[in-house]
Amino acid sequence: MPKKNKIYWFEGVTEKGVKSLLNDENSKFRWLRSQRNRRVLVILMSLGLILTASGSYWTSIKKELNLDSEVEIIVFSIAAIFVLLSVVGGYSFLRISVRGLAEAPDELLDERQIQVRNTSFRYAYLVMGYIVLILMLLMIVGPRLELFGSDGPDGSFLLISVMFIFASLPSMILAWREKDI
Amino acid sequence: MSRQPEEPIFNRIEELRIEKGLSRQQLADAVGVHYQTVGYLERGEYNPSLSLALKISKELQASVGEIFSLTPFRKVRNNA
Repeated sequence: MPKKNKIYWFEGVTEKGVKSLLNDENSKFRWLRSQRNRRVLVILMSLGLILTASGSYWTSIKKELNLDSEVEIIVFSIAAIFVLLSVVGGYSFLRISVRGLAEAPDELLDERQIQVRNTSFRYAYLVMGYIVLILMLLMIVGPRLELFGSDGPDGSFLLISVMFIFASLPSMILAWREKDI
Repeated sequence: MSRQPEEPIFNRIEELRIEKGLSRQQLADAVGVHYQTVGYLERGEYNPSLSLALKISKELQASVGEIFSLTPFRKVRNNA
């Protein structure tokens, strides 16, 4: 009888999924796992997240670009779809590059993997603390400085970006720090 | 009390593994870790827990003292 694929609801992964990511044999993504390529991916992902967050400033940007309403909608839609798809793709590649360590449950990892995963979460927690602090400051001074344009605040892209940062930061830190063997 | 910077632990895992004709993957499977972890152990970039050290010593059929040391191992010159 085939073994049942255990689902880890809290982590949002399955046993087979984690094991296939941890296994390097027959992997099409071995090239992605070198430290150099992982670091390039982290930089690209950071740029993607900054671009996503900048969508919240569109009301200010479109005034400066002086676009008419039809062109504005087309430019914004294409740019938004492209950037969001890139970030989703980047997140998937990032997970593959670190063998899904950040989301893997303890029982499927060895002691070194648990240690590096825990360290990356410690750093991610500190970085998120600073990001939340900056967001809170933005919430306080934003309306006064009209940071999101005079048409009204639009923090939606900023929130999408922060959600992706929450999800990908431990993997980004792992990808940056883990050395090649 | 602050934690002291980690003291390096030298090991002969790679030497003994090759002597036994084992690949990294085979040793990793035998002691229940990822093959990358064996690589980190061999390079001295990760110090194992006591239980992992004992499993490695059992698999390589050598005592923990023969595999791990706080001082570098002397290179044995093969004159045969």
